Order: sequence, then C-alpha cells, then structure tokens
Amino acid sequence: MLSRKLLTEILQTAMSTGADFAEVFSERTLENQILLIDDRVDAITDRLISGVGIRILKGTRCVTGSCTSLERSDLLACARRIADALDGASGEGAAAGRTVRLTERIFGDIHPVRIVPHTAAHGAKIDLLKEANEAARGYSAGIAQVSAKLLDVDHNILIANSDGLLTEDRQIRTRMVVSAVASKNGENQSGICSPGRRMGLEMFEQIRPKDIGTEAARQATVMLDAGYIPAGQIPVAIENGFGGVIFHEACGHSLEASCVSIGQSQFCGKLGQQIANEKVTALDDGTIPNAWGSINIDDEGTPAQRKVLIENGILKTYMVDKLNGRRMGLEGNGSCRRQSYQWDPTSRMTNTFIANGPDKNEDIIASIEYGLYAKKMGGGSVNPANGSFNFAVAEGYIIRNGKICEPVRGASLIGKGSDILMNIDMVGQNLETAQGMCGASSGSIPTDVGQPLIRVSSITVGGR
Amino acid sequence: MLYNDFKELVMAAAKANRLEEYELYYQASEGISTEALQHDINAFSTSIQAGACFRCIHAGKIGYAATERFDADEAERIVEAAMQNAEATESAESAWIHETGDAYEEIVPVTTSEPSAAQLRQLVLATQEAAYRRDARIVDGTQTAAAFRRSTVAISNSKGLDLSHTADYSLLYCYPSVKENDELYNGFELKAGDFTELSADAVANAAVDEAVSCIGADTVPTGSYPIVFSGKMTATLLATFFSAFSAEAAQRGLSLFRGKEGEQVAAPSVSIVDDPFPQDSLLRIPFDSEGVATYRKKVVENGTLTTLLHNLTTAHKAGVSSTGNGCKENYASKVGISPYNFYLEAGGAGSKEALFENVRNGIYVTELNGLHAGADPSSGDFSLASAGFLITDGKLGKPVKNFTVSGNFYELLKQVALIGDDVEFMPIDGSSRYGAPAIVVNDVSVAGK
Repeated sequence: MLSRKLLTEILQTAMSTGADFAEVFSERTLENQILLIDDRVDAITDRLISGVGIRILKGTRCVTGSCTSLERSDLLACARRIADALDGASGEGAAAGRTVRLTERIFGDIHPVRIVPHTAAHGAKIDLLKEANEAARGYSAGIAQVSAKLLDVDHNILIANSDGLLTEDRQIRTRMVVSAVASKNGENQSGICSPGRRMGLEMFEQIRPKDIGTEAARQATVMLDAGYIPAGQIPVAIENGFGGVIFHEACGHSLEASCVSIGQSQFCGKLGQQIANEKVTALDDGTIPNAWGSINIDDEGTPAQRKVLIENGILKTYMVDKLNGRRMGLEGNGSCRRQSYQWDPTSRMTNTFIANGPDKNEDIIASIEYGLYAKKMGGGSVNPANGSFNFAVAEGYIIRNGKICEPVRGASLIGKGSDILMNIDMVGQNLETAQGMCGASSGSIPTDVGQPLIRVSSITVGGR
Repeated sequence: MLYNDFKELVMAAAKANRLEEYELYYQASEGISTEALQHDINAFSTSIQAGACFRCIHAGKIGYAATERFDADEAERIVEAAMQNAEATESAESAWIHETGDAYEEIVPVTTSEPSAAQLRQLVLATQEAAYRRDARIVDGTQTAAAFRRSTVAISNSKGLDLSHTADYSLLYCYPSVKENDELYNGFELKAGDFTELSADAVANAAVDEAVSCIGADTVPTGSYPIVFSGKMTATLLATFFSAFSAEAAQRGLSLFRGKEGEQVAAPSVSIVDDPFPQDSLLRIPFDSEGVATYRKKVVENGTLTTLLHNLTTAHKAGVSSTGNGCKENYASKVGISPYNFYLEAGGAGSKEALFENVRNGIYVTELNGLHAGADPSSGDFSLASAGFLITDGKLGKPVKNFTVSGNFYELLKQVALIGDDVEFMPIDGSSRYGAPAIVVNDVSVAGK
C-alpha cells in the first residue's frame, strides 16, 4: 500500500487548483475462480486487481481519475490531470491548495474469517465443487448439465482524504454458484442456487455444497414439467430470500441518493410521508456480521450503518454518499460503494430487506383464491425515475382456493414501485436473505436482498 | 515498469520453469470522460488501465493467472500460479497455444481525431443546452456525457506469435428527462465515432424526441398481438440469446442448436452474419483472443444453421477449424466465445412504416428491460418488461408501456414473418456489436392490464 507521505502529496496536488475535498482510494484485490462443468474442473483463473482512484470535489462538481500504476510519478501525474480538469481551462483558484495531515483511524472488523480462501489448497475447494456437482447430478436422471463455480475475493482497500482520514479495510467474500439444466424432448429448463458470505471457506460448514447442488437440480427438474402461467394481473405471494429482489428493484434503487439528489427518483421529497403499506418496514443494514453485503466501512471510509429506510410505511431516510449528500444537505451514511478503483463511487445498497410483519405465512397463502406463489425469484431491474421495475420468477406455482397447486414456468412480474409498495398488504414472519451482485453506475457490488413471505394484492404477470 | 519489460520478465520466468507452450495476453485502455448536469459540467474523469494474463500448458492442461501490477514479483507469481492452476484443472482438451501463419486482415483505423478535455466539455455542454432547447418539459435530471477511449490488445506466445491491435473512438450520449403531470419520462441516444462527426443537436434532439414520444403512455390489454420489434430490440434479443450460436454452449448442452448444423432452424427469410471488420463499423478486429485470424461468415443462411461459432478448443472437439471467435470477457478471463458485428441481414419487407401497414393493428416494441433476469439462454424462454407504441390501422399510434412480451427465442426465429430493410446496430458491448432490421412476429403473448 502507498506511504502516508505519498498519499499526502497526491491529495495536496489534487487540491492545488481549488478543490475543497480530495480522496485517494487504493486497492489490492485477489480474485480466484474455479469452474467445474461436464463433471470436470474446466478452468481455474486468478487475478490481482491493483490500482488507485483519485477524486476531488468542489461544491458538487466532481473530478476523478484512476491509474493502475503505483509509481509515484504516474500517481502525481494523475492527480495533476485531475486538478487541471477542475475548472476547465480557466485556471481559476490555482493558488489554492492546503496542507493535509493524515491521521490513521482503525474501525476494526466485525466479520471474522477462519479460512482465507486464496490461501487454501485448490484440492480443498475442488472437493466442495464436486460435492455440489454430485448432489445435483444425482438428483434426477433428467439433469443434463451442471456447472459449479467457486468464487473468492480478498479485497484490500485504503482510503485517505483531505479531511485527514487514513483508514483501511480487508473484505473477504466467498460464493458458490451452482447451475443445473434439466433436459427432455428437446427442451431445457435451468435452476440456480448461489449462496455467498463475507467469510472464508468455513461458510460451507453452515451451507453444505450438496444442498446447494440439490436445490439447483430440484428447481430445474420441477420447471421441466411445468406449464406456462397465463398472462394477466393477479395477486402474488412472494416467498422469502431472493423474493426480496422486489424491494431492491421496486424501492431500494429509488432511495439511493445518486438518483434522489438530481430529482430522478419516484421518492424525491417524500421523507416523512407514507410511501408503502403500513405493514412494511424496510432496512438497509451494512453491519450484519459475515453477511454478503456487509462492510466495516464504506468506500469513502464512513462506518457501516443500520438504516431504517421505511418504518410502518413511512419513508425515514435515503442511502447517502458524500457527493450526493452535498446536493441534498445530508451527511453520508455508510452507503458509498464502488466495484473497484476504476469506478467512481456513489450511493448503493448493502443488505436490504423487508422486516418480519404481523401476518402468519399460512394465512397469506390461504387468503388467495386465485394467484401465483413465487417460490424462487431471479434478478430484475428498475428505472428509478418513474419506478417502472421488472423481476423474474424462477419457480412459481398456481394458488387455487388458498392452496398451492401445479408449478408454472418463469415469468416476469412488472409494475411501478410506488404502486407495488402500497399493494404489499400482508407481510409474513420467515425473514431470510439471499445474495446477489447488483449492477449500477459504480459497478457490480455484492448485496443481500431479503424479506419474509409477502402478499402483493395485484401485479402484472408476464405469462403466456 | 513498462509492459515490454514486464513481458520479458514473464517470458524468462516461463523458460526458467521449463514451460514449452505459453502466452501473455495484454489489454490496456486510456480515456477521458465528462458529464453535464443542469447547465454545468458536474463530472470529469481520466483513466489509464492495463492488465496482463499469462496462460501456459502444463501437465497437458491449461492454466491462467492475471495481474495489473507489472513488477518482478508479479512476473514470477503469475507464471507459478498458472502452473498450479493447470495442475488442478481436469479438462485436458483445452490445451491450445496458436501457431503463426494466419493471414490477418489489415485494419485501417476508422477514427483519427483525439479530442482534448476542453473539446469534450464543449460538446457535452452544447448537447445539454440543445436538449433544454428542444422541449419546454425538460427537467433538471437530464444528463449528457461524452468520452474518448483508446484500447490496445497484444498477444505474444511461445510459438512466435506477436500481435497487437489498437482502436479508439469517441462517444456522446444524452439521457433526458421530461415531466408531464408529475410523471417522468426518459429518452436515450448514443452516438459513437470520430469526434468530429459527433453532433450535439442530432444526439440531443433524438434523445429528447424519444422521451417526449413516450408522454402519456398507458398499458395495453392482456392478449396475443402481432408485434413489430424495432431493429434495436431485435438486435437486443440476438445479443441476449447469442449463446444459442456458441459451440461452447452447444457442446455443454446449453444451446438447443447442438448438432443442428445444416438444419432449418429459422424462417427461410432469416440470414445471420458475423463480420469482424465491416467498413462502416468502429468495431474492426483482425484476430481473436487466441491470436486466430478473424473472418466474415454466415451463421444462418436462408433459415439454415451453417455453423456455430468456435474457438480453438471447441473446434478441435468438433473436428472443425476455429471460426476466430475465441474471446475473453476481460483480460483475466478464460477464453470463451463471442461474435463481432453479429446481425440479422436486411429483408425485403421495406421500411418500418411498411411493416406497420402490413400488420395493421398490433404493437411496435422499442424497449425491452430485465434481459439479465427475464430471459433464459439455455431454454430460450423470455418474459420481458416492454414499452413501445400501438400500431393502429397501419400507422404508428399511441405510446404504451408497463406490459410484458413473452415467448421463446428458438420458436421466435421460426416465427419471423417479415424482415425490414434497415439494419440498426446497438452500441458496442465489449468486442461485440449486435444489429438487426425491424421484424414482424405474429401471435406474441402480452401481459398488460
């Protein structure tokens, strides 16, 4: 990592044309990936990501730069280019600049890791993949293909800024992604299970690889014999875990300061107002030990927070980063994230979920005369400005007369976030989270979604 | 340390470890970008990036390791890590380091002018102002950005192959937001090319007109409709389901085109081309990620699947030659398969207006969302959030949104009823660019109100 002296020089150079804030984000990340497919280890790739992102602010103007080289001359040249770009060719405020004194701060780590994955032997990891593969293959004769991937990341970051902050964090994450394909009469259906944690290989003592493989194969097999759901607007019961993608897309993105601060959110100016059904309380909590989306500090060096976004339907807070916070008159609240030094950071989610509610799960199913039970969800997307969102049902069942009946194949659920939040009219009690990679302007970052079983009184189901 | 010095250290480390077959793949890019919000520049960014990936054949298998640090320690580390990764790999047939001797297309650079930061800022501000001028309903969330990028790929291997290719381009996009009745509507227009050819007015006007055209959009009743997919949305479907044409996916049972070469897989009017260097494209690539020379080929000709796309490994397995489509997602990744300029050829059904006339009543789809989730390449099933316009009595009608279009890609290829005459391309994505004319498909399931 870079010396305090060099960091200070970079910050001072970057501020020399009048910026009021400067920041250096330095990164050294080891990524490893093992892919098993066709019953064999197909490829092992690893990669060292290393570089520096520099950012300056003057009011709400932001200039950034990134550079893979860690040579002093290259870093200072990058800082100089950034400083020069601040006011265009005007050179205004060129005499500015100030002395920075970096004082180290240690936030500590609430995410213990027992087995750092990249220091473990390949053989140990391959055994985990084989266990998952065998379980998936053994699930049924209809399973035609299984791919099992083990991904691990050791992400070391250093943040120094002109307020004097100097801090570091080490973020270790492990994830297994098993995808199974069932095949019959020239048709394929796939199932996927992809748990991850902010921990090491010990995560597989809690979550057995064979269970991951079995779950992927089960989904593919069930869907192979499923029909299509008819298209239309019906009530939907959405199961826990990845079902939480509905909140992530329908609401979460629209509460990020990156869109709120420039008026591009359906929830602008709605603090203190009711935006969801009163049964809905939702949180973004970056402090859950060893959870996939957790952080000790965000990518601006602000400690992680547990934020109640919506309490009993009332909007309480947004997810805020420093730059957009300036536009909104708010402080950053541990929400600033970036994929790597190459991406400009902005406000993002961490672990975002709907809390347990007042309804019994069995009552939720029993309340639906005809509708869809969405047991497993895929991903989705949203336009935060108008709230139009979509997300995919990976495994669904028809509900008839309050009973879960035959399976139906994947369909997208679509709607407008502000409508759907009001239509979440029953909230169950089996909160669980699931892991995803969330893509947005600052890159792809690990986030948890979650919820208990919920009922949406009416939603458009893209069947056929 | 400069890349060339690093390369020598890596090659020396490979020799010291008695490796016989190995390759170093290098990718670098530099660029500047700037962005306007309201009436001012709010962001500027500059970046210089480089990474290198070493692969070697060791114990009869291939191993990979990559780095962004060019120093002596890393030169040794990636060679040793690649050897360890090879040892633990079990697929032996993927061990190929390409020979010299291919005839490579000479690519004449399409673009030449590199904008200064000041020129880029001027263009962005001019575009942003043009957007505000275009319609009174423009609101302050409207954003414009422009960028210049230059990227280089180089491959050097133990068989004497030493190739490099550099490309650059500028791009300008506008993402306007218009407001009516408290509802926000967005448009988007992106142009890439030589900096001097980027027009602030053209981009701003097209983007704002698109946003304005959506004002007042309602949903449609659930049902079955004839659909005209715009050229860009047809291209988007091709991109989403590209793996249908990948030999790697087919050999793994993840494409239903496995073993279908020579068979009718699409309507007789459908021909699909993969061209690595069309004259009018910014994407012009002479060699693939394994150093194999690229060339133009028809993947589907008059509805018949003529070939899948191959890299060295899949070609060897299938007993054919590589089609030069070996591709790395990024410098560090394993060689997979992807296309270059991959497009559905123009058909004889005329302009999109002629298609509307033919359809009489249906939906013109100009937006498809949620492609990463609502589409499954292994089954071909899709169910996608959509927006567009009604087609009423043969003419473009009211805007519509918040409905889904569902079907199956493999069936859709056979159901293509008419193909328009104007191929539109999506922006370059990595080393691929997808294009298509508008098409007509009858009886598509739509969920709305």
